[in-house]
Amino acid sequence: MATTTASVSISSNDLIPGSNLSINASSTLMKGGLTTGLTQLRTGYESIATGTEFRLGPLATEMASDEHNIASWVYICNKATDDTFYIDWGLHETMIGRLYAGDWMFIPWNAKADDHEIEIEAQGGAQTIEYAFFASDLVLPTAAS
Amino acid sequence: MATTNATISINSDISSYPVRINSSMTMKKAGSCHGLDETNGLRSKKFTGTSAAIIIEAAEYTADKAHKVYIRNTASNKEYFFYVAYNASAAAATTDEVIGKLYGGDWMLMPYDGAVNITVASSTTETQILEYMVFADVLVDQTS
Repeated sequence: MATTTASVSISSNDLIPGSNLSINASSTLMKGGLTTGLTQLRTGYESIATGTEFRLGPLATEMASDEHNIASWVYICNKATDDTFYIDWGLHETMIGRLYAGDWMFIPWNAKADDHEIEIEAQGGAQTIEYAFFASDLVLPTAAS
Repeated sequence: MATTNATISINSDISSYPVRINSSMTMKKAGSCHGLDETNGLRSKKFTGTSAAIIIEAAEYTADKAHKVYIRNTASNKEYFFYVAYNASAAAATTDEVIGKLYGGDWMLMPYDGAVNITVASSTTETQILEYMVFADVLVDQTS
């Protein structure tokens, strides 16, 4: 069984006056509702052009399980250095946040259907992202011919 | 200007070569080199039912900014989870904008535009505690 651990450390000495903020958390990523580890991985390092909304990662139909019953994790890091550049990210045609240059994000993701894909769009200029999907039930798309 | 740093480390033996992801960021305001300097603080909420609830109200945040949301399920049981969603009402399990499930011990950190609420729903009536914090770009002054 594979073991994947994800840890985070968040710290600030001056965000809350008079209090040093220190958050530390670590989790072993498991299959949905189970205590067995995730077994499949996709990674990438890609340039994203502006003006187009792209799908990142697999479709729901490329993940063999019941809808909403999949424990997958997505890591994305925006490798741009211009502070004004960002990647809009969202689900199901709904933008949720802006991943600015130098920022990273880490979220659980449950693909309900194909139109619940992860969507990204570069704003300000072309940007390069680094990403990784940790999942349990990825299947390859059927060949076109 | 405050300085808030966040570091992620992912280690895995899924593939035949070790996966090591390490990344750090300083949380900055939208389009700026200045750090995020507002927060409502770290919050903790106990859930004993499956009703959906709003944990982050968009009205408290200026929309289309560079807020960041940290959420962790403090439970240790991997059987139960919280749905986490981006939804205007309290729907969490049934909305199209379910982001994912946070099982016991799981955490997430994501950019948030502050335009729509963040909602959650526990999968169980067993006690689960959620801790969460918003690192805000701009908080909206609340009127009485």
